[in-house]
Amino acid sequence: MAWSLFNLLIFPGFLFLFVFGLAMEFVDRKLYARLQNRIGPPWFQPFADFVKLAAKEDIIPEEADSVMFRLMPAFALASVVTAFFYIPLWSTQSLFSFNGDLIVVIYLLTIPTLTFFLAGWHSTSLFSMIGATRTLTQLFAYEVPLFMAILAPALLAGTWSLSEMTVFYDQHPAYAAFNIIGLIVSLIALQGKLERVPFDIPEAETEIVGGTFTEYSGRFLAMFRIAIDIEAVVGASLIAAVFLPFGLGLGAAWGFVFYLVKVLAVIALLALLRTVLARLRIEQMVIFCWRIVAPAALFQLLINLILSGVLRP
Amino acid sequence: MKWLQKLITWARIKSPWIIHFNTGACNACDIEIVAALTPRYDIERFGILLKGTPRHADVLMCSGPVTRQIRDRLVRIYEQMPEPKFVVAVGTCACSGGVFKGCYNVKGGIDAAIPVSAYIPGCPARPEAIIDGVVKLLTSLQGAKPAPIADCGLQNADCPVGGQGAACPDLSGRRGGCSPQKAGLE
Ligand code: SF4
Repeated sequence: MAWSLFNLLIFPGFLFLFVFGLAMEFVDRKLYARLQNRIGPPWFQPFADFVKLAAKEDIIPEEADSVMFRLMPAFALASVVTAFFYIPLWSTQSLFSFNGDLIVVIYLLTIPTLTFFLAGWHSTSLFSMIGATRTLTQLFAYEVPLFMAILAPALLAGTWSLSEMTVFYDQHPAYAAFNIIGLIVSLIALQGKLERVPFDIPEAETEIVGGTFTEYSGRFLAMFRIAIDIEAVVGASLIAAVFLPFGLGLGAAWGFVFYLVKVLAVIALLALLRTVLARLRIEQMVIFCWRIVAPAALFQLLINLILSGVLRP
Repeated sequence: MKWLQKLITWARIKSPWIIHFNTGACNACDIEIVAALTPRYDIERFGILLKGTPRHADVLMCSGPVTRQIRDRLVRIYEQMPEPKFVVAVGTCACSGGVFKGCYNVKGGIDAAIPVSAYIPGCPARPEAIIDGVVKLLTSLQGAKPAPIADCGLQNADCPVGGQGAACPDLSGRRGGCSPQKAGLE
């Protein structure tokens, strides 16, 4: 009991994710600044933002549904923290695992997007409602390619459990090279999931002021921000576990170093994408996802189907 | 709980998010604010971010005089911001009405409508002056005295306003400003 409480609140749980999420937000913002030839924010910046927001007044608009308005940030935070427990991090064993946890993790990572939609919808402000509908439109565009891209390696491994999947790829590290298209697809989809440039259409501040979060302030906004930070970390960990299963059998210390390197690499790639691209329009985004990203993911599925027939008779 | 208060004050100083609102400026001040947001000045160093919605912002940056038409909107945007909030008047017009003072459609400076925490004069105010104004406003939260303005080094005879003791037109922190103690403003 005490041990699971420790797991839940401190080590791979909330506190660790909080610190890790803030650190990764800093890395992302600093890299973004350096790539623009700027100096960038100091290391404590995400923490200062969090404390400041937490200490600010929270306003709940009169028109808004006050229960939903308060609940949604907590839901977003809870679902991303839960998803983290099922992902194998620095060994082939995750904290909890069962056959099918891959699907659970993907669904838990979808919940934040749905909470953004509900939060925007129940704010009952024009801008947040437009942002909310855009969130959903975008969800349908990137979610399917992400599912297919992440299921393809599972097909090759012949299991629906993330832990067993990493065991399989740990034994056959060369097979990970077949999943390279899936890796690219899931990086693009993760960028969409995190609603960052070029897919920051739901919160395009130059068009619809703050998008879904227009009416949010104070503690609730701080919770949403930390949920997005943690979502980035969890998404990066998922990609690392599925597509980059290296260095898992080297013990906890080395495994942890490898894990950090992999997550940092994913975050750096996402920051690079954010720097070099500009925001798409919503229909360009949908067309791009359905015409290019989804067929690529399908192609990956096809490759893995054939391979699993050839390699695992 | 003193340390908590200290932590919160520290966070407020380190993370001022701004929202920009044009209350009727000639647009030059707005261009300077936009220039201050470019990578060249890199105000993210100080934690300053531009936000689109008043709900997220801590500092309302107003440029230009308050016209009769904009007054209600300005007050509404101010009321939409969560506490604690600050208002910075950017440009001479925002400070006092400037060249538009006395027009039939102009109420006066920003303080004719809402309370102002910091005035940044200049027509238009330079980006350095704007950044300096925001940073000074926030350091004043700490109870510490704002950093003195650099001495311009001009001799009394060269000073455009007649030397020490006279109010300097440009206290905005760029070179050419007289120190406020010298100018007799403190
Ligand atoms: S202070 Fe000068 S530049 Fe700024 S709005 Fe007024 S007239 Fe324009």
